[in-house]
Amino acid sequence: MSPDPVIVGGGPAAISAAIELAQHGVRSTLLEEASRLGGVVYRGPLREGVELDYLGERYKDALHKLHAEFADIAHSVDVRLNHRVVGGQGEHSLQVLDPDERLQEVGFGQLLLGAGCHERSVPFPGWTIPGVIMLGGLQLQIKSGVVKPRGPTLIVGTGPLLMLVACQLHAAGVEVAGVYEACEFTRIAKESLALLNQPQLFLDGLSMLMYLKRHGVTVRYGWGVVQARGDGELSEVIVAPYSDTWQPDLSKAQPVMARTLAVGYGFIPRTQLTQQMGLDHAYNVDGYLAVKADTWQRSNQPHIHLAGDVTGMRGGEAAMLTGRIAALSILLQRGVLSEKQARAQRRVYLSRLNTIVRFRGAIDRYTQRGTRQIELPQADTVVCRCENVTRADIDLALSQGVQDMASLKMRTRVSMGDCQGRMCVGYCSDRLRESTGRQDVGWLRPRFPLEPVPFSAFTNACKDA
Amino acid sequence: MIKTYDVVIAGGGVIGASCAYHLSRRKDLKVAMIDCKRPGNASRASAGGLWAIGESVGLGCGVIFFRMMSAERKREAQGTAVIVDSSTPHILPECFFDFALQSNALYPGLHQEMIEKHGMDFKFERTGLKYVIYDDEDRLYAEHIVANIPHLSDEVRWLDQAALRESEPSVSHDALGALEFLCDHQVSPFRLTDAYTEGARQNGVDLYFNSNVTEVLRQGSKVVGVRTDNQGAFHCKTLINAAGAWAAELSVMATDLSIPVAPVKGQIVLTERMPKLLNGCLTTSDCYLAQKDNGEILIGSTTEDKGFDVSTTFPEIAGLVQGAMRCIPELKDVNLKRTWAGLRPGSPDELPILGPMAGVEGYLNACGHFRTGILTSAITGVMLDALVRDQPLPLDVTPFLADRFNLQPVGLKKVIGA
Repeated sequence: MSPDPVIVGGGPAAISAAIELAQHGVRSTLLEEASRLGGVVYRGPLREGVELDYLGERYKDALHKLHAEFADIAHSVDVRLNHRVVGGQGEHSLQVLDPDERLQEVGFGQLLLGAGCHERSVPFPGWTIPGVIMLGGLQLQIKSGVVKPRGPTLIVGTGPLLMLVACQLHAAGVEVAGVYEACEFTRIAKESLALLNQPQLFLDGLSMLMYLKRHGVTVRYGWGVVQARGDGELSEVIVAPYSDTWQPDLSKAQPVMARTLAVGYGFIPRTQLTQQMGLDHAYNVDGYLAVKADTWQRSNQPHIHLAGDVTGMRGGEAAMLTGRIAALSILLQRGVLSEKQARAQRRVYLSRLNTIVRFRGAIDRYTQRGTRQIELPQADTVVCRCENVTRADIDLALSQGVQDMASLKMRTRVSMGDCQGRMCVGYCSDRLRESTGRQDVGWLRPRFPLEPVPFSAFTNACKDA
Repeated sequence: MIKTYDVVIAGGGVIGASCAYHLSRRKDLKVAMIDCKRPGNASRASAGGLWAIGESVGLGCGVIFFRMMSAERKREAQGTAVIVDSSTPHILPECFFDFALQSNALYPGLHQEMIEKHGMDFKFERTGLKYVIYDDEDRLYAEHIVANIPHLSDEVRWLDQAALRESEPSVSHDALGALEFLCDHQVSPFRLTDAYTEGARQNGVDLYFNSNVTEVLRQGSKVVGVRTDNQGAFHCKTLINAAGAWAAELSVMATDLSIPVAPVKGQIVLTERMPKLLNGCLTTSDCYLAQKDNGEILIGSTTEDKGFDVSTTFPEIAGLVQGAMRCIPELKDVNLKRTWAGLRPGSPDELPILGPMAGVEGYLNACGHFRTGILTSAITGVMLDALVRDQPLPLDVTPFLADRFNLQPVGLKKVIGA
């Protein structure tokens, strides 16, 4: 009997897969890095008894439904919270850091990776000043029910999350200094037909906009960030109109007073583990890597499955469906379902997924990033925060003929820090693409461990062998 | 369009870049360097030790070999006394000491030259290399080394337990002492490679990155150029094979003979940045440790025959980590930041393969540097510059010629006219 399927992640994709498996009588082991399940979207308050009324009814319903469904089958899932997967070796084991900071090897018969996504970093002058944070991170703070930002809070970026977080902040009593969406309103309007594939989500968007207007919050379309200023902490943000390609028009730049700046120029798949495991990846239209999955959510290693945003940004509801489809494939591989049964159930999930994908395509089109944002950093702007590498360092390396990511890394130390380039690789590869005129400028394969691990974690590793 | 050069260098690792730099110093030759980074290239994976004596006597990476063999022997002998015979530790021949020490002596001047002329600092640091002794087996090993290098006694110093604790307070108090090699230092290996590369570029060398040599152009027994996958053909008077672990492939294209260069995998572990914990480089019978210019401690290295595989493997990484904690107990509270693997270009006798090959014109080897490519890159560049110009060499090249091996043709290739 092969070992239980192992699920990495605790978000909607992972939870849905565990539910689908359990409903067919298959136990699974679920490894989650956080202290509770739900992932960044559905994690809920960190403390018991905290009421999150300001998060909105729709979110609360979805949260309760997912957790209730999981509670029914929780006895057949070995949930290991605070377990961080720091590496995968070969095709049959993972290295996992447990809550006592010891490294374990976890073997698997089938594996489902639902690592989700992380925010795309955009370097601009002042982006490292305390008070400048990522939009998704800010939303997590609100959801935790423990932390609120210091107001006034300015929100810049693109996509539906801007309005959502603005409403959530305002409802939580935080002063919102304005919302600056990089995309022009007319471009969003053009997508309204496609957006109506998910009428509820679209109406949510419109009602959020109405809410902000009613409360006198400034909302500007086609505007973006240029610079953050402050002496030791944020005091002022410079914003300006953005062109189609997000080239700021500095002649029309304006200052906005703010203590907190939330920056949300989109999300990218979190592929560190899938890359380290050597699975097949491809660049998506935004120039980022996503891991490739077939219509059964299988990677190029058929027993390793993928679900959720790790294969491309499609959001929480799509994650639940892809998690379910991956589970069907695992059930098929284990002989629990026949091919016919699995296909029939997959058809149900796929039709719902297709509706979401059409809606998501519209969002992708209007939030498609403008590449001219790479002109924001000035010579002394730090691009790689881990290694303190500035734009000037990168300019020099490019002028000396550096043409690929690996060489840029060696010449400047970008990406040699703890984050392995998660923060800076986007900017660096954009610059390389522009400077060389080539689409493929190489990539940096993440190394073990994906996050720093204390030496003491190895104390007893491999000693029984 | 065909490009024409005096010299084409295939390979842009530390050896190819050093050749490019040294050939370009007088700015009188037209030189091209063609490079494509492949997973496992050793210059980037290296530790950057300039351990001229240490590596010549089998310390650094070599000692891990010894420990492995010694453990086997112990098992075979079923608990009888440790045997240290003349084959262990593995001490390289005299010609290699000269090669390594001459190269080592070039770095202080080269470091100045690179900073002053080219604005590139490869972080040369005078560190010494201490072989940390834990037990009788280690001591026997150290005594054997000293007995074999009487001519280098000025460069060797014994440290007793008190002296070791004073000079390296972080080293485990279980250590009995150390044997220090005074002339063994360190650089940043990728900064050294970049310094040669940028120096060469400033001196007028044309760099072709992301290009693979797909064919060597020949007229009879003469090499006259190369063809690449994306930069077309290059004509040259001399082709230098500096292709690292991939050198055998190129030698077949150029000469129909496969020089015996094969990848030897080494895995490495790196800590987070720390304040200065080590005053010098250390080697033990488990691993070596070198704190680099930015505070990270680099711990190496395995020696594995795994072809071109560059995966890191948990048991081997755990072994290095445990060996490092044994030497520096404080490391248990430190974070491991990264691991990686590189491919040393190994040769059967651990000596590099340099210079011309019998019966082939217009072709020079600069490969097979195994675990000492960083250390010996400087002298290799000097030698290849002199070989291209047909000038007197600082060292006899004979022991390093490919012809020392009994090479057999590997099937005839079509002779392509240019």
